[in-house]
Amino acid sequence: MDNNFLVIENISKSFGDNKVLENINLNISKSEFFGLLGSSGSGKTTLLRILGGFEKPDTGRVILDGTDITNLEPFERPLNYMFQSYALFPHLNVFNNLAFGIKENFTQKEIEINVRNIAELLSIEHLLNRRIKQLSGGEQQRVALGRCLIKKPKLLLLDEPLAALDKKLRSKTQLELTTLQKKLKITFVFVTHDQEEAMSLSDRMAIMKNGLILECSSPEEIYENPKSLYTANFIGIANIIEIYKKDENFYSDDLGINFKLNKELKNTKTNILLRPEKIKIQSMNNLKTSSFNSFSGEILEKSYLGSFTRYEIKIKNMIISVLDQNFNSNSNYNFPKGEKVICSWESESIKVLED
Amino acid sequence: MKNKLFEKYFVFSPYFWLVLFFFIPLAIIFKISISVSEWGMPPYQDIFLFDNGFKINTTFENYVYIFSDYYYIGSFVNSLILALISTFFCLLIGFPLAFYIATSNIRLRNILLVLVVIPFWSSFLLRVYAWKIILQNNGILNVILLNLGITSEPLQLLYNQYAVIMGIVYTYLPLMILPLYGYLNKFDLNFIEASKDLGLNRIKTFFKVILPLSVPGIVAGSLLVFIPVVGEFIIPEMLGGSDRLYYGKILWEEFFVNRNWPGASALAFSGIIILVLPIVIFQILYSRWSEKNEI
Repeated sequence: MDNNFLVIENISKSFGDNKVLENINLNISKSEFFGLLGSSGSGKTTLLRILGGFEKPDTGRVILDGTDITNLEPFERPLNYMFQSYALFPHLNVFNNLAFGIKENFTQKEIEINVRNIAELLSIEHLLNRRIKQLSGGEQQRVALGRCLIKKPKLLLLDEPLAALDKKLRSKTQLELTTLQKKLKITFVFVTHDQEEAMSLSDRMAIMKNGLILECSSPEEIYENPKSLYTANFIGIANIIEIYKKDENFYSDDLGINFKLNKELKNTKTNILLRPEKIKIQSMNNLKTSSFNSFSGEILEKSYLGSFTRYEIKIKNMIISVLDQNFNSNSNYNFPKGEKVICSWESESIKVLED
Repeated sequence: MKNKLFEKYFVFSPYFWLVLFFFIPLAIIFKISISVSEWGMPPYQDIFLFDNGFKINTTFENYVYIFSDYYYIGSFVNSLILALISTFFCLLIGFPLAFYIATSNIRLRNILLVLVVIPFWSSFLLRVYAWKIILQNNGILNVILLNLGITSEPLQLLYNQYAVIMGIVYTYLPLMILPLYGYLNKFDLNFIEASKDLGLNRIKTFFKVILPLSVPGIVAGSLLVFIPVVGEFIIPEMLGGSDRLYYGKILWEEFFVNRNWPGASALAFSGIIILVLPIVIFQILYSRWSEKNEI
C-alpha cells in the first residue's frame, strides 16, 4: 500500500502566543480511515483545518498524492471537508445542496445523474426536494456527506462526523460510515474527542495532546500497548499502578504485592497498566493467594452493565476496577458487595508505561 | 387583579401609540386634503357645514391639481430616484463594512460599532452643515485640490445632486449598517468555508452563498434608508441646487410659501399611499417567500 498518499510534514501553527500545533508529522495511506483523537484544545481541529486549507501552517508542508497542497486555496484542493455543523445551505433544497459543488463543470443532465447516484448510495432519494430545515439530524449528516462525495475527492476530512447525532443513531451511522468508506476506497481523515468513536471507525489513529501527537497506531495497539500514561488513561478504563524495583522483583506500595515483569526496565520506578477486563476474579474458597500477580481484595462497589459487571475492588490503599464478563446466566453468579475475592492475571497483561 | 389588568392592556400600548401619532394625524391630513382652500386662517374651509342645514363640503380638486401638474409628479419621481441611488450606495458601502464588523473579533467589533454610532451623538444639522464647509468653493477640499495642483480653479462641488447623494449616503449609512450587522452577526462562517471547499472561489461564493443568505438583512437596511430618504428635506435644501426639485422641498413650499394646505396635504397623502402600498405588498410577498425558503 502507498504509505505516502497524504504526508504531513513538520507542521507547526500558533495563534498569537498560543502554540496550537508543534512539529506534526504523519503519513497516511491511500484508502485509510484515519482518526485524530484528542480532548478540546489538543489542536486536532486546527490540523484538520490546515488540511482543508482554511488555516495556513506557520511551518511545514502538506503533500497529497505527490502534490504539495500547502499553499493552495480550499477551492483548489482535490479534497472535501465535512463540517461538524454540516453547514448545509438553508436557501437551497437537498438536490441543490448535493449539486452545489458540481454545477460549474457539468451539464444539467450530468448533474441530474450524479445527484441521483449519490442519493441512491446514501438512501436519500426521497429527500431531494426537501428543504434543509425539514431534515432530521441523521438525514442532514447524509446530505453533508453526499455533498462532499459527489465531488469524488481524493481525501475526505470529517470534523466530529457523529457528534451531532443521538447515541443510538450514532452507532448505526458508525457502521454505515466504515462500510461506505471501504466500498468507495476514499481516504478519510476525521477528528473526534470520543475515544469509542475513534476506536470503532479508525484503521489507525493518532492521539493528540497540547499540539503534539503522542502516539499513532491501530486502535488495538493503542489500547493494548499504550506508550504513555496519558494515552492509557484516555483510552478505555485503566488501572495505573506505580511500582519500583525491590530486590529481584517489582513492588507496589499501594497494593502491597510483588509484580513479575518479563521485561527489563530502564528506570527503577515506573507505572504499569492493567486493563480491567484482564483481571480474573474468583471466590476466596476456590484458590489460595500466590504472591505473584494476584491479590485478595474486598468488593467496594459493583455496577451491573448487562454483558459485564464492573467491580471496584479495594486492596490495601488502592481501588482497582475490574470488568467481569457475565458468562453465566444465573443472576446469583455476581459477587455481592463486601465479598472478599481473589484477583489474578496473566503476566503478559501487565503493560509497562515508560513515558 | 390590578396587575393582571395592566398586563392585559399593556400589550396594546404600541397600538395606542400608533393610533395617536400615526393614524389620527394621517386622518387629519386626509381631511385637509379634501377640503376647499380659501384665504384665511386656517386656509381651508370646514368639510362639514351647518349654516343652511347640514352640508358636506369636500372636493378632490386638490388631487386633480397635483396629478395634472408635472411639477409635483416630477419632484416625487426625482425623490424616488434619489432614494434608489442613495440606498444603492449605502448598500455598496454598508454591506462590506457590516460584514467586516460582524466577522471581526469581539474587541475590534465593539470599537467599530461605536464608530458607526458616534455620528448620531452630534446634531444632524451640524453634520450636514459641516459638509457645506468642506465642499464650498473656498472649502477644505477645494483648497487641498488647488494646492496639489489637481485643478487650477475651485470646483463647484456644492449645490448639485451629487452633493445631495453624498450627504444622504453619509447620513443614512448607519441605518444600513446596523440592521445588516444584526443579521450578518448570526451568519455561520462555515457556510463560506463549505462553499470554498466545494470549489467556488471568493466571488462565486459571495454571489451564491453570502448574498442569498443576507437577503433579510439587505431588505431591512434598504427599507430603513429608502423610506425616509424619499421625504428628506434638509439635505437637498442645504447641499442641493436648483437643478433638481425634490418631494420634501415641494411639500414645504406648498405648505409654507404658497399656503396651500389642502394641496400640500393632498401631496403628502398621495406620497404616503404611493410609497406605503408597494412596500406593504412587498413585505407580504417577501415574508411568504422567506417562510418558504427558510431564511
